[in-house]
Amino acid sequence: MDYILHILIMVGIYSIVAMSLNLLAGYTGLISVAHAAFYGIGAYTTALLALKVGLPFWINIPAGILVSGFVAFLIAWPSLKTYDDYFVITTFAFQIIIFSIMNNWVSFTGGPLGLPGIPQPEIFGITLSSHLFFLSFVVAFGILTYMFLTRLVNSSFGRVLKAIREDEIFTMSMGKDVMKYKVSVFVIGAAVASIGGSLYAYYISFIDPTSFTIMESIFMLSIVIIGGAGSLRGSIVGAALLIFIPEILRFVGMPNSIAANMRQIFYGGLLVFFMMFRPQGLLGEFAFGKSGHKESKEVRKNA
Amino acid sequence: MLKVDSLSKRFDGVQAVRDVSFNIQQGTVTSLIGPNGAGKTTLFNMICGYIKPDRGTVHFKGKDINGSPPYAIAAMGIGRTFQNLRVIKMLTSLDNILLSVPDHQMNGILGPIIKVLRKDSESGCREKALELLDFVGLREKADDLAGSLSYGQQKLLSLACCLALEPSVLLLDEPVAGVNQEMIINILALIRKLRKTGIAVFFIEHNLGAVMEVSDRLIVMDEGSIIADGIPSVVREDPAVVEAYIR
Repeated sequence: MDYILHILIMVGIYSIVAMSLNLLAGYTGLISVAHAAFYGIGAYTTALLALKVGLPFWINIPAGILVSGFVAFLIAWPSLKTYDDYFVITTFAFQIIIFSIMNNWVSFTGGPLGLPGIPQPEIFGITLSSHLFFLSFVVAFGILTYMFLTRLVNSSFGRVLKAIREDEIFTMSMGKDVMKYKVSVFVIGAAVASIGGSLYAYYISFIDPTSFTIMESIFMLSIVIIGGAGSLRGSIVGAALLIFIPEILRFVGMPNSIAANMRQIFYGGLLVFFMMFRPQGLLGEFAFGKSGHKESKEVRKNA
Repeated sequence: MLKVDSLSKRFDGVQAVRDVSFNIQQGTVTSLIGPNGAGKTTLFNMICGYIKPDRGTVHFKGKDINGSPPYAIAAMGIGRTFQNLRVIKMLTSLDNILLSVPDHQMNGILGPIIKVLRKDSESGCREKALELLDFVGLREKADDLAGSLSYGQQKLLSLACCLALEPSVLLLDEPVAGVNQEMIINILALIRKLRKTGIAVFFIEHNLGAVMEVSDRLIVMDEGSIIADGIPSVVREDPAVVEAYIR
C-alpha cells in the first residue's frame, strides 16, 4: 500500500514541476533545461531552513519560492537575450553552474554528502509521517498550482504568452514588451517549480545534488512533451505515465541494476516515438517546435 | 504627423536606404512604390523601430521616436502590418485583436500574479474588438482560429489587429498582395474609410491599379533613394520613374 502511495506522491510532485515547465516550454516556447536547478533551489532552501533554523513548512515553502524566483530573475536577463537554440544552451550553462554550487559549497549545502534528516512538516501539531497524510499534502499543493496556472494561462497574460510562442515580431507590433513578459514567465515558472522541490525535500527527508542534474531537467521536459505542450492536464498525465510505467519493470523479475538502465532506454524510446508519430503529445494542442495546426473545414471550403 | 528626416541604412556594403526625407499628413493616403530591393520595407522597419537607422531621425507628433523599441512605437500610435502575413494562427480572431489590450497591471514582474488574483475585466475591450471585426467584416469569424481563415481574411484580421491600437498612422506592407479582386476592392474601401476618420495611411504596394485608385500622394523609391514624390497622376509620367521600372 505504501508503495502505491509513494508512486502517487512522486506523480504529484512531478506534476507540479511539469506544469510549471509547461508554462515556459509549452505556452511561451521557452525551452529551458535549467528547471531541475530551480526545483533544487526550492529543495535546498526548504531543507536548510528546516534543518538549521528549524522554521515550519509554511515559512519554508514560500521562502523557497522567493529564493528560486529571485535566482531566476538574475538568470533571466542574460538567458532571454538569446533565442531558440542559444536559449537552450544558456539555460544548460546555468543548470551546470547551480549544480556545481550545490555540489561544491560543502560548508553550506553539505556538498555531495547532501542534507540528511530533514524533519517532516507539521500541521496543527500533527506530523505528516504517514504516506497518506503526505499524499493529501502534495495533492493540496497540486490543486492550488493547477488552479493558479489555469487562471494564468487563460488570462490576457496567457494570451500574450501564446502569441510570443507563435510570433514575437507580431506580438511586439501589438504593443507588447515581449522581453518583460518572458522574464516574468521565467520567474513564475521557476517559483512554481520550487514548490515541487520543497515537497520533495520534505518527503524524501534527504537531498543531495544528484537529484538536480541536467538529466532531471531533461526528464521534466520529456514529461511536458509526452503529456502535451500547452496543456496543463497533459503534464499531469505525462508525469503519471513516465513514473508509473517504469515501475512495471520491477514486476517482470528484472534485477535492479538492469531495470535502472532499462528505464533510461524506455524514456528515450518513448520520446523518439512521440516526436515521430505524435509531436503534439497526448493532450497537447500543437506540434512541439513548429506552429503546425490542423486546417479546419472552413479553409478547404474557401480554397 | 510623421516626419522622416534624412534616414539612411547600410547593410554589409549595400546602401539599403539613402537620405530619405518626407512628411506624412493626417487624413491622407500615401503609397510607396519601387522595384524589389528599393529599400521600402527597410524604411518601414526603421520607422517602427525594428531596425536602427545609421543616420537620420523619425519624429511622430513632434516627438523624436528614434531608438524607441518597436512595442513602444506601436503603443504610441504607429500601427503596421507585415509583408509576410503575420497573425497568431493558434488563437481565435477575437483573441488576436485582444492582444492589443494595454497591460496597465504589467508593472514589474509581479504584475501578472496580481492580475490573476484580481478578476480580469476585459468586457469593454471585448466589445471594442467585436466592433473592429465588424468593421473589417469578420464578425462571424470571431471565435474561429485565425489559422482557419482564408489568406484574404487573415489580411483583414491583421488590419483589424493594428487598428485595435488606435493608431494615428498606419503603415501597411503590401496590403493587397496575393488576394483576389473582390478582396482588393474590399481592402481599398477600408483604407478610404480610415482616411475619413483622420488616420494617415502609408502603404507599400506593387499593384499599381490599387495604388492609383486610393492614393493622394505617391512616393517612388529606387536603390534606396526617393526618385519621385507627388500627385500620383503626375509622378506616374515622371521619366525617372518610367526609367526605374523599365530597367
